[in-house]
Amino acid sequence: MSAGGSGEAKSSYPPQTTIGLGVVGGLLGIYAGGLLAPSIPELSFIGGIGAICAAIWGADAVRRVASYGLGTGVPSIGLLALGMGIVAALFGLSIGGIAGPIVAFIVACVIGVVIGALANRVIGMGIPVMEQTMTEIAGSGTLLILGLSVAIAGTFDYNVVVESVVKTGFIALIYIAGGMALLHPFNANLGADESQDRTLTCAFEKGAVSMVVAGIASAAGVGIGPAIVTVIIGTVLWYIGFTKYYALVKRDAYAVVGTGLLPSAEELQ
Amino acid sequence: MIDIMANLIWIIVVVIGGALISQSVHFIPVGGAPAAMAQATGIGTGTVQLAAGAGLTGLVSAGYMMSVTDNLPLILASAAVGAMIMIAATMIVGSWVYAYGVGCVPASAKVKYDPLTKYRQDLYVSQGTEGHGLPTVCFVSGVIGAALGGIGGALVYYALMEVGMSVVSTNPNLVAVVTIFSIGIFFVNSVIPSYNIGGTIEGFHDPKFKKWPKAVISSLVASLLCAIVAAIAIGQLSGGL
Repeated sequence: MSAGGSGEAKSSYPPQTTIGLGVVGGLLGIYAGGLLAPSIPELSFIGGIGAICAAIWGADAVRRVASYGLGTGVPSIGLLALGMGIVAALFGLSIGGIAGPIVAFIVACVIGVVIGALANRVIGMGIPVMEQTMTEIAGSGTLLILGLSVAIAGTFDYNVVVESVVKTGFIALIYIAGGMALLHPFNANLGADESQDRTLTCAFEKGAVSMVVAGIASAAGVGIGPAIVTVIIGTVLWYIGFTKYYALVKRDAYAVVGTGLLPSAEELQ
Repeated sequence: MIDIMANLIWIIVVVIGGALISQSVHFIPVGGAPAAMAQATGIGTGTVQLAAGAGLTGLVSAGYMMSVTDNLPLILASAAVGAMIMIAATMIVGSWVYAYGVGCVPASAKVKYDPLTKYRQDLYVSQGTEGHGLPTVCFVSGVIGAALGGIGGALVYYALMEVGMSVVSTNPNLVAVVTIFSIGIFFVNSVIPSYNIGGTIEGFHDPKFKKWPKAVISSLVASLLCAIVAAIAIGQLSGGL
Protein backbone atom coordinates (compact mmCIF):
# COMPACT_ATOMS: atom_id res chain seq x y z
CA MET A 1 0.00 0.00 0.00
CA SER A 2 1.25 3.43 -0.77
CA ALA A 3 -0.49 6.77 -0.94
CA GLY A 4 1.12 10.15 -1.47
CA GLY A 5 2.44 11.42 1.85
CA SER A 6 2.13 8.09 3.61
CA GLY A 7 5.86 7.51 4.01
CA GLU A 8 7.93 4.64 2.80
CA ALA A 9 6.36 2.50 0.09
CA LYS A 10 5.93 -1.18 0.80
CA SER A 11 7.41 -3.33 -1.94
CA SER A 12 7.28 -6.97 -2.78
CA TYR A 13 10.20 -6.52 -5.18
CA PRO A 14 13.14 -4.82 -3.42
CA PRO A 15 14.76 -1.79 -5.11
CA GLN A 16 17.80 -3.90 -6.06
CA THR A 17 15.65 -6.05 -8.34
CA THR A 18 14.22 -3.17 -10.33
CA ILE A 19 17.58 -1.35 -10.39
CA GLY A 20 19.19 -4.48 -11.78
CA LEU A 21 16.45 -4.91 -14.36
CA GLY A 22 16.65 -1.27 -15.41
CA VAL A 23 20.43 -0.92 -15.62
CA VAL A 24 21.22 -4.31 -17.14
CA GLY A 25 18.12 -4.55 -19.33
CA GLY A 26 18.32 -0.92 -20.38
CA LEU A 27 22.00 -0.92 -21.30
CA LEU A 28 21.78 -4.35 -22.96
CA GLY A 29 18.83 -3.20 -25.06
CA ILE A 30 20.58 0.01 -26.07
CA TYR A 31 23.84 -1.74 -26.95
CA ALA A 32 22.23 -4.73 -28.68
CA GLY A 33 19.91 -2.45 -30.65
CA GLY A 34 22.54 0.15 -31.41
CA LEU A 35 25.25 -2.30 -32.48
CA LEU A 36 23.12 -4.86 -34.36
CA ALA A 37 20.70 -2.52 -36.11
CA PRO A 38 23.27 -0.92 -38.47
CA SER A 39 23.68 -4.35 -40.14
CA ILE A 40 20.16 -5.72 -39.51
CA PRO A 41 17.82 -2.67 -39.23
CA GLU A 42 14.88 -4.85 -38.12
CA LEU A 43 16.64 -5.36 -34.78
CA SER A 44 16.32 -1.69 -33.84
CA PHE A 45 13.25 -2.66 -31.79
CA ILE A 46 15.60 -4.06 -29.10
CA GLY A 47 16.25 -0.45 -28.10
CA GLY A 48 12.55 -0.20 -27.31
CA ILE A 49 12.77 -3.29 -25.08
CA GLY A 50 15.63 -1.60 -23.23
CA ALA A 51 13.43 1.47 -22.84
CA ILE A 52 10.67 -0.67 -21.29
CA CYS A 53 13.15 -2.07 -18.72
CA ALA A 54 14.25 1.48 -17.89
CA ALA A 55 10.60 2.58 -17.60
CA ILE A 56 9.82 -0.16 -15.07
CA TRP A 57 12.85 0.82 -13.01
CA GLY A 58 12.07 4.53 -13.24
CA ALA A 59 8.44 4.02 -12.30
CA ASP A 60 9.52 2.02 -9.26
CA ALA A 61 11.90 4.81 -8.20
CA VAL A 62 9.14 7.39 -8.72
CA ARG A 63 6.87 5.19 -6.61
CA ARG A 64 9.39 5.02 -3.77
CA VAL A 65 10.03 8.77 -3.64
CA ALA A 66 6.53 10.03 -4.45
CA SER A 67 4.94 7.90 -1.72
CA TYR A 68 6.48 10.38 0.73
CA GLY A 69 4.46 13.14 -0.92
CA LEU A 70 6.28 15.65 -3.08
CA GLY A 71 3.75 18.39 -2.47
CA THR A 72 3.51 19.19 -6.15
CA GLY A 73 2.16 16.13 -7.86
CA VAL A 74 3.93 13.12 -9.27
CA PRO A 75 4.25 14.40 -12.87
CA SER A 76 6.84 17.01 -11.89
CA ILE A 77 9.42 14.38 -11.03
CA GLY A 78 8.90 12.58 -14.34
CA LEU A 79 9.48 15.78 -16.28
CA LEU A 80 12.54 16.53 -14.13
CA ALA A 81 13.86 13.04 -14.91
CA LEU A 82 13.51 13.54 -18.63
CA GLY A 83 14.97 17.07 -18.39
CA MET A 84 18.08 15.68 -16.71
CA GLY A 85 18.00 12.67 -19.01
CA ILE A 86 17.93 14.59 -22.26
CA VAL A 87 20.90 16.75 -21.25
CA ALA A 88 22.90 13.72 -20.07
CA ALA A 89 21.93 11.50 -23.02
CA LEU A 90 23.05 13.96 -25.71
CA PHE A 91 26.21 14.73 -23.75
CA GLY A 92 27.11 11.05 -23.38
CA LEU A 93 26.54 10.27 -27.04
CA SER A 94 28.51 13.35 -28.13
CA ILE A 95 31.74 12.48 -26.35
CA GLY A 96 31.47 8.80 -25.57
CA GLY A 97 31.60 7.09 -28.95
CA ILE A 98 31.07 3.40 -28.28
CA ALA A 99 30.94 4.06 -24.53
CA GLY A 100 28.35 6.80 -25.13
CA PRO A 101 25.36 5.23 -23.37
CA ILE A 102 27.48 4.35 -20.31
CA VAL A 103 28.96 7.87 -20.15
CA ALA A 104 25.44 9.30 -20.48
CA PHE A 105 24.20 7.03 -17.70
CA ILE A 106 27.03 8.01 -15.34
CA VAL A 107 26.62 11.73 -16.06
CA ALA A 108 22.88 11.42 -15.44
CA CYS A 109 23.54 9.74 -12.09
CA VAL A 110 25.91 12.56 -11.11
CA ILE A 111 23.37 15.24 -12.06
CA GLY A 112 20.67 13.24 -10.26
CA VAL A 113 22.58 12.87 -7.01
CA VAL A 114 23.43 16.59 -7.02
CA ILE A 115 19.82 17.61 -7.61
CA GLY A 116 18.65 15.10 -5.01
CA ALA A 117 21.10 16.50 -2.49
CA LEU A 118 20.02 20.06 -3.32
CA ALA A 119 16.37 19.13 -2.88
CA ASN A 120 17.03 17.58 0.50
CA ARG A 121 19.76 19.79 1.94
CA VAL A 122 19.07 23.24 0.46
CA ILE A 123 15.34 23.19 -0.21
CA GLY A 124 14.78 20.94 2.79
CA MET A 125 12.30 18.41 1.47
CA GLY A 126 13.41 15.93 4.12
CA ILE A 127 12.71 12.76 2.11
CA PRO A 128 15.19 10.13 3.30
CA VAL A 129 15.42 8.33 -0.06
CA MET A 130 15.64 11.54 -2.11
CA GLU A 131 19.30 11.34 -3.15
CA GLN A 132 19.11 7.67 -4.08
CA THR A 133 15.84 7.84 -5.97
CA MET A 134 16.74 11.06 -7.77
CA THR A 135 19.90 9.31 -9.00
CA GLU A 136 17.84 6.35 -10.14
CA ILE A 137 15.22 8.55 -11.78
CA ALA A 138 17.85 10.51 -13.73
CA GLY A 139 19.58 7.29 -14.76
CA SER A 140 16.39 5.57 -15.86
CA GLY A 141 15.22 8.69 -17.72
CA THR A 142 18.48 8.72 -19.66
CA LEU A 143 18.27 5.02 -20.52
CA LEU A 144 14.66 5.51 -21.58
CA ILE A 145 15.59 8.34 -23.94
CA LEU A 146 18.57 6.41 -25.32
CA GLY A 147 16.51 3.23 -25.81
CA LEU A 148 13.77 5.03 -27.72
CA SER A 149 16.40 6.97 -29.70
CA VAL A 150 18.01 3.69 -30.74
CA ALA A 151 14.57 2.36 -31.73
CA ILE A 152 14.06 5.43 -33.94
CA ALA A 153 17.57 6.00 -35.33
CA GLY A 154 18.84 2.40 -35.33
CA THR A 155 22.14 3.49 -33.76
CA PHE A 156 23.51 5.59 -30.93
CA ASP A 157 25.99 7.49 -33.09
CA TYR A 158 25.68 11.15 -32.02
CA ASN A 159 25.40 12.67 -35.49
CA VAL A 160 22.82 10.15 -36.69
CA VAL A 161 20.75 10.58 -33.52
CA VAL A 162 20.89 14.37 -33.92
CA GLU A 163 19.92 14.05 -37.57
CA SER A 164 17.03 11.58 -37.23
CA VAL A 165 15.76 12.11 -33.66
CA VAL A 166 16.57 15.67 -32.57
CA LYS A 167 16.36 17.58 -35.84
CA THR A 168 13.13 15.87 -36.87
CA GLY A 169 11.53 16.83 -33.56
CA PHE A 170 10.86 13.22 -32.52
CA ILE A 171 12.84 14.02 -29.37
CA ALA A 172 9.78 15.95 -28.14
CA LEU A 173 7.69 12.84 -28.73
CA ILE A 174 10.20 10.75 -26.76
CA TYR A 175 10.15 13.39 -24.06
CA ILE A 176 6.43 13.20 -23.49
CA ALA A 177 5.88 9.49 -24.22
CA GLY A 178 8.89 8.52 -22.10
CA GLY A 179 7.96 10.94 -19.33
CA MET A 180 4.49 9.41 -19.32
CA ALA A 181 5.98 5.93 -18.86
CA LEU A 182 7.86 7.18 -15.79
CA LEU A 183 5.32 9.42 -14.10
CA HIS A 184 1.98 7.95 -15.09
CA PRO A 185 2.11 4.51 -13.39
CA PHE A 186 2.36 5.77 -9.81
CA ASN A 187 0.22 8.82 -10.57
CA ALA A 188 -2.58 6.60 -11.85
CA ASN A 189 -2.34 3.89 -9.19
CA LEU A 190 -1.52 5.79 -6.00
CA GLY A 191 -3.90 5.55 -3.12
CA ALA A 192 -4.66 3.32 -0.19
CA ASP A 193 -4.93 0.23 -2.39
CA GLU A 194 -1.72 0.80 -4.38
CA SER A 195 0.30 -2.34 -4.97
CA GLN A 196 3.74 -2.52 -6.52
CA ASP A 197 3.06 -5.21 -9.08
CA ARG A 198 0.07 -3.29 -10.47
CA THR A 199 2.05 -0.04 -10.70
CA LEU A 200 4.97 -1.75 -12.41
CA THR A 201 2.67 -3.58 -14.82
CA CYS A 202 1.25 -0.20 -15.73
CA ALA A 203 4.84 1.00 -16.33
CA PHE A 204 5.43 -2.00 -18.60
CA GLU A 205 2.30 -1.19 -20.54
CA LYS A 206 3.18 2.52 -20.83
CA GLY A 207 6.70 1.59 -21.92
CA ALA A 208 5.20 -0.54 -24.67
CA VAL A 209 3.03 2.39 -25.77
CA SER A 210 6.11 4.60 -26.01
CA MET A 211 7.79 1.81 -27.99
CA VAL A 212 4.90 1.81 -30.47
CA VAL A 213 5.15 5.59 -30.76
CA ALA A 214 8.90 5.31 -31.35
CA GLY A 215 8.22 2.60 -33.90
CA ILE A 216 5.94 4.87 -35.91
CA ALA A 217 8.57 7.62 -35.75
CA SER A 218 11.29 5.20 -36.83
CA ALA A 219 9.71 4.91 -40.30
CA ALA A 220 11.53 8.18 -41.04
CA GLY A 221 14.76 6.96 -39.40
CA VAL A 222 15.64 3.32 -39.97
CA GLY A 223 12.93 2.69 -42.55
CA ILE A 224 9.44 1.30 -43.04
CA GLY A 225 10.33 -2.38 -42.55
CA PRO A 226 12.01 -2.03 -39.13
CA ALA A 227 9.28 0.44 -38.14
CA ILE A 228 6.61 -2.19 -38.77
CA VAL A 229 8.58 -4.75 -36.71
CA THR A 230 8.89 -2.29 -33.79
CA VAL A 231 5.21 -1.35 -33.96
CA ILE A 232 4.04 -4.97 -34.07
CA ILE A 233 6.28 -6.08 -31.19
CA GLY A 234 5.31 -3.00 -29.21
CA THR A 235 1.62 -3.66 -29.79
CA VAL A 236 1.95 -7.29 -28.69
CA LEU A 237 3.81 -6.22 -25.54
CA TRP A 238 1.19 -3.55 -24.89
CA TYR A 239 -1.58 -6.12 -25.21
CA ILE A 240 0.17 -8.49 -22.80
CA GLY A 241 0.78 -5.61 -20.37
CA PHE A 242 -2.76 -4.29 -20.61
CA THR A 243 -4.48 -7.65 -20.05
CA LYS A 244 -2.17 -8.29 -17.09
CA TYR A 245 -2.89 -4.84 -15.73
CA TYR A 246 -6.63 -5.27 -16.11
CA ALA A 247 -6.41 -8.62 -14.31
CA LEU A 248 -4.53 -6.95 -11.44
CA VAL A 249 -7.09 -4.14 -11.31
CA LYS A 250 -9.83 -6.74 -10.97
CA ARG A 251 -7.79 -8.54 -8.30
CA ASP A 252 -7.30 -5.37 -6.23
CA ALA A 253 -10.76 -3.89 -6.72
CA TYR A 254 -13.56 -4.69 -4.28
CA ALA A 255 -15.85 -5.35 -7.22
CA VAL A 256 -15.89 -4.63 -10.93
CA VAL A 257 -19.44 -4.06 -12.12
CA GLY A 258 -20.94 -2.96 -15.41
CA THR A 259 -23.10 0.13 -15.25
CA GLY A 260 -25.13 -0.86 -18.31
CA LEU A 261 -26.21 1.56 -20.97
CA LEU A 262 -27.58 4.99 -20.21
CA PRO A 263 -31.34 4.79 -19.53
CA SER A 264 -33.57 5.97 -22.35
CA ALA A 265 -35.99 8.88 -22.02
CA GLU A 266 -38.99 6.56 -21.44
CA GLU A 267 -37.25 4.61 -18.70
CA LEU A 268 -36.54 7.84 -16.84
CA GLN A 269 -40.19 8.83 -16.77
CA MET B 1 36.57 19.08 -27.69
CA ILE B 2 35.31 22.53 -26.89
CA ASP B 3 37.30 24.95 -24.81
CA ILE B 4 35.39 25.46 -21.57
CA MET B 5 37.32 28.57 -20.57
CA ALA B 6 36.65 30.29 -23.90
CA ASN B 7 32.94 29.72 -23.37
CA LEU B 8 32.94 30.54 -19.68
CA ILE B 9 30.98 33.73 -20.24
CA TRP B 10 28.20 31.82 -22.04
CA ILE B 11 28.11 29.15 -19.35
CA ILE B 12 27.62 31.92 -16.78
CA VAL B 13 24.82 33.36 -18.91
CA VAL B 14 23.12 29.94 -18.97
CA VAL B 15 23.41 29.74 -15.19
CA ILE B 16 21.89 33.22 -14.81
CA GLY B 17 19.09 32.18 -17.16
CA GLY B 18 18.45 29.08 -15.06
CA ALA B 19 18.30 31.15 -11.88
CA LEU B 20 15.85 33.57 -13.52
CA ILE B 21 13.59 30.66 -14.52
CA SER B 22 13.76 29.40 -10.94
CA GLN B 23 12.86 32.84 -9.59
CA SER B 24 10.06 33.26 -12.13
CA VAL B 25 8.19 30.22 -10.82
CA HIS B 26 7.78 31.94 -7.45
CA PHE B 27 5.86 34.78 -9.10
CA ILE B 28 3.40 32.65 -11.04
CA PRO B 29 0.14 31.93 -9.16
CA VAL B 30 0.21 28.14 -9.26
CA GLY B 31 -2.82 26.55 -7.67
CA GLY B 32 -2.27 22.94 -8.64
CA ALA B 33 -5.04 20.40 -8.27
CA PRO B 34 -6.88 22.33 -5.48
CA ALA B 35 -7.19 25.35 -7.77
CA ALA B 36 -8.57 23.14 -10.51
CA MET B 37 -11.46 22.49 -8.12
CA ALA B 38 -11.62 26.21 -7.22
CA GLN B 39 -10.44 25.46 -3.68
CA ALA B 40 -7.19 27.43 -3.82
CA THR B 41 -6.16 30.68 -5.41
CA GLY B 42 -4.27 30.47 -8.66
CA ILE B 43 -4.32 28.73 -12.00
CA GLY B 44 -5.53 25.16 -11.79
CA THR B 45 -2.49 23.28 -12.98
CA GLY B 46 1.03 22.40 -11.82
CA THR B 47 4.09 24.61 -11.68
CA VAL B 48 5.95 22.74 -14.35
CA GLN B 49 3.18 23.00 -16.89
CA LEU B 50 2.74 26.73 -16.31
CA ALA B 51 6.40 27.63 -16.16
CA ALA B 52 7.12 25.43 -19.16
CA GLY B 53 4.21 26.92 -21.08
CA ALA B 54 5.36 30.45 -20.46
CA GLY B 55 9.05 29.70 -20.82
CA LEU B 56 8.73 27.70 -24.02
CA THR B 57 6.60 30.42 -25.57
CA GLY B 58 9.39 32.79 -24.63
CA LEU B 59 11.88 30.44 -26.23
CA VAL B 60 9.91 30.35 -29.47
CA SER B 61 9.60 34.15 -29.50
CA ALA B 62 13.33 34.44 -28.84
CA GLY B 63 14.13 31.97 -31.58
CA TYR B 64 11.98 33.85 -34.03
CA MET B 65 13.62 37.16 -33.11
CA MET B 66 17.06 35.57 -33.44
CA SER B 67 16.34 34.67 -37.03
CA VAL B 68 15.89 38.38 -37.75
CA THR B 69 18.47 40.07 -35.51
CA ASP B 70 21.24 39.20 -33.10
CA ASN B 71 20.56 42.19 -30.86
CA LEU B 72 20.35 40.67 -27.36
CA PRO B 73 18.03 43.27 -25.76
CA LEU B 74 15.54 42.86 -28.62
CA ILE B 75 15.65 39.06 -28.32
CA LEU B 76 15.11 39.22 -24.55
CA ALA B 77 12.26 41.71 -24.97
CA SER B 78 10.60 39.48 -27.55
CA ALA B 79 10.89 36.47 -25.25
CA ALA B 80 9.56 38.38 -22.24
CA VAL B 81 6.57 39.73 -24.15
CA GLY B 82 5.81 36.34 -25.69
CA ALA B 83 5.79 34.65 -22.31
CA MET B 84 3.78 37.47 -20.72
CA ILE B 85 1.09 37.23 -23.40
CA MET B 86 0.95 33.47 -22.95
CA ILE B 87 0.50 33.54 -19.18
CA ALA B 88 -1.83 36.56 -19.26
CA ALA B 89 -4.09 34.80 -21.77
CA THR B 90 -4.10 31.69 -19.58
CA MET B 91 -4.97 33.71 -16.49
CA ILE B 92 -7.70 35.82 -18.08
CA VAL B 93 -9.43 32.77 -19.55
CA GLY B 94 -8.99 30.98 -16.23
CA SER B 95 -10.63 33.93 -14.47
CA TRP B 96 -13.60 33.77 -16.85
CA VAL B 97 -14.00 30.08 -16.11
CA TYR B 98 -13.84 30.69 -12.34
CA ALA B 99 -16.24 33.65 -12.47
CA TYR B 100 -18.80 32.49 -15.03
CA GLY B 101 -18.32 28.73 -15.00
CA VAL B 102 -17.62 27.84 -11.36
CA GLY B 103 -19.36 30.92 -10.04
CA CYS B 104 -16.82 32.14 -7.50
CA VAL B 105 -15.23 35.55 -7.07
CA PRO B 106 -11.45 35.93 -7.30
CA ALA B 107 -10.23 36.04 -3.71
CA SER B 108 -6.90 35.48 -1.98
CA ALA B 109 -6.75 33.66 1.34
CA LYS B 110 -3.19 34.70 2.06
CA VAL B 111 -3.78 38.44 2.53
CA LYS B 112 -6.69 40.39 4.04
CA TYR B 113 -6.45 43.18 1.49
CA ASP B 114 -5.20 42.89 -2.07
CA PRO B 115 -1.87 44.78 -1.92
CA LEU B 116 -2.54 46.44 -5.28
CA THR B 117 -6.25 47.25 -5.34
CA LYS B 118 -6.72 47.37 -1.52
CA TYR B 119 -9.94 45.38 -1.97
CA ARG B 120 -11.05 43.27 0.99
CA GLN B 121 -10.33 39.57 0.36
CA ASP B 122 -11.23 37.47 3.42
CA LEU B 123 -14.99 38.17 3.22
CA TYR B 124 -15.18 36.57 -0.19
CA VAL B 125 -13.22 33.39 0.52
CA SER B 126 -15.65 30.45 0.59
CA GLN B 127 -15.58 28.34 3.71
CA GLY B 128 -13.31 25.33 3.56
CA THR B 129 -11.26 26.72 0.69
CA GLU B 130 -7.97 28.57 0.48
CA GLY B 131 -9.28 31.21 -1.85
CA HIS B 132 -10.25 30.85 -5.48
CA GLY B 133 -9.82 32.53 -8.83
CA LEU B 134 -7.14 35.05 -9.70
CA PRO B 135 -7.25 38.35 -7.80
CA THR B 136 -5.47 41.36 -9.33
CA VAL B 137 -2.30 40.88 -7.32
CA CYS B 138 -1.94 37.29 -8.56
CA PHE B 139 -2.48 38.38 -12.13
CA VAL B 140 0.19 41.08 -11.92
CA SER B 141 2.57 38.72 -10.15
CA GLY B 142 2.01 36.08 -12.82
CA VAL B 143 2.81 38.52 -15.61
CA ILE B 144 6.05 39.55 -13.85
CA GLY B 145 6.96 35.90 -13.40
CA ALA B 146 6.31 35.14 -17.05
CA ALA B 147 8.57 38.01 -18.10
CA LEU B 148 11.39 36.65 -15.92
CA GLY B 149 10.82 33.11 -17.18
CA GLY B 150 10.81 34.24 -20.79
CA ILE B 151 14.02 36.21 -20.31
CA GLY B 152 15.60 33.25 -18.51
CA GLY B 153 14.66 30.84 -21.29
CA ALA B 154 15.90 33.24 -23.95
CA LEU B 155 19.22 33.73 -22.12
CA VAL B 156 19.78 29.97 -22.00
CA TYR B 157 18.91 29.63 -25.68
CA TYR B 158 20.97 32.63 -26.77
CA ALA B 159 24.03 31.56 -24.78
CA LEU B 160 23.94 27.98 -26.08
CA MET B 161 23.49 29.30 -29.63
CA GLU B 162 26.58 31.46 -29.17
CA VAL B 163 28.52 28.42 -27.95
CA GLY B 164 27.38 26.51 -31.03
CA MET B 165 28.09 29.40 -33.44
CA SER B 166 31.70 29.50 -32.26
CA VAL B 167 32.26 25.93 -33.47
CA VAL B 168 29.91 25.66 -36.43
CA SER B 169 28.64 28.79 -38.13
CA THR B 170 26.14 27.04 -40.39
CA ASN B 171 24.71 23.79 -39.15
CA PRO B 172 21.01 23.16 -39.59
CA ASN B 173 21.08 20.79 -36.61
CA LEU B 174 22.41 23.44 -34.26
CA VAL B 175 19.02 25.07 -33.63
CA ALA B 176 17.41 21.70 -32.88
CA VAL B 177 20.13 20.60 -30.47
CA VAL B 178 20.24 23.96 -28.70
CA THR B 179 16.46 24.02 -28.38
CA ILE B 180 16.34 20.57 -26.83
CA PHE B 181 19.08 21.46 -24.35
CA SER B 182 17.23 24.67 -23.46
CA ILE B 183 14.05 22.70 -22.87
CA GLY B 184 15.90 20.19 -20.68
CA ILE B 185 17.50 22.96 -18.61
CA PHE B 186 14.15 24.71 -18.45
CA PHE B 187 12.35 21.69 -17.02
CA VAL B 188 15.06 21.06 -14.42
CA ASN B 189 14.83 24.67 -13.29
CA SER B 190 11.07 24.76 -13.15
CA VAL B 191 10.74 21.58 -11.06
CA ILE B 192 13.34 22.59 -8.43
CA PRO B 193 11.41 25.72 -7.32
CA SER B 194 8.12 23.83 -7.42
CA TYR B 195 9.50 21.60 -4.66
CA ASN B 196 10.54 24.75 -2.81
CA ILE B 197 7.02 26.18 -2.80
CA GLY B 198 5.41 22.81 -2.12
CA GLY B 199 3.33 22.87 -5.26
CA THR B 200 1.23 25.99 -4.75
CA ILE B 201 1.91 29.71 -4.41
CA GLU B 202 -0.20 32.80 -4.96
CA GLY B 203 2.49 35.24 -6.06
CA PHE B 204 4.86 37.74 -4.52
CA HIS B 205 2.46 38.48 -1.64
CA ASP B 206 2.45 34.83 -0.53
CA PRO B 207 4.55 34.10 2.61
CA LYS B 208 6.17 31.20 0.71
CA PHE B 209 7.68 33.72 -1.70
CA LYS B 210 10.34 34.52 0.90
CA LYS B 211 11.83 31.05 0.40
CA TRP B 212 13.05 31.91 -3.12
CA PRO B 213 16.79 32.13 -2.32
CA LYS B 214 16.86 28.39 -1.54
CA ALA B 215 15.48 27.47 -4.95
CA VAL B 216 17.67 29.98 -6.76
CA ILE B 217 20.82 28.63 -5.10
CA SER B 218 19.81 25.07 -6.00
CA SER B 219 19.10 26.15 -9.57
CA LEU B 220 22.46 27.90 -9.82
CA VAL B 221 24.25 24.65 -8.98
CA ALA B 222 22.02 22.45 -11.17
CA SER B 223 22.23 24.88 -14.10
CA LEU B 224 26.02 25.04 -13.83
CA LEU B 225 26.23 21.25 -14.19
CA CYS B 226 23.78 21.23 -17.11
CA ALA B 227 25.47 24.22 -18.78
CA ILE B 228 28.93 22.62 -18.79
CA VAL B 229 27.51 19.35 -20.08
CA ALA B 230 25.47 21.14 -22.76
CA ALA B 231 28.39 23.31 -23.89
CA ILE B 232 30.60 20.26 -24.38
CA ALA B 233 27.89 18.35 -26.26
CA ILE B 234 27.15 21.29 -28.54
CA GLY B 235 30.87 21.69 -29.18
CA GLN B 236 30.92 18.15 -30.58
CA LEU B 237 28.55 19.14 -33.39
CA SER B 238 31.48 20.26 -35.52
CA GLY B 239 32.70 16.69 -35.98
CA GLY B 240 31.31 14.78 -38.92
CA LEU B 241 28.82 17.32 -40.18
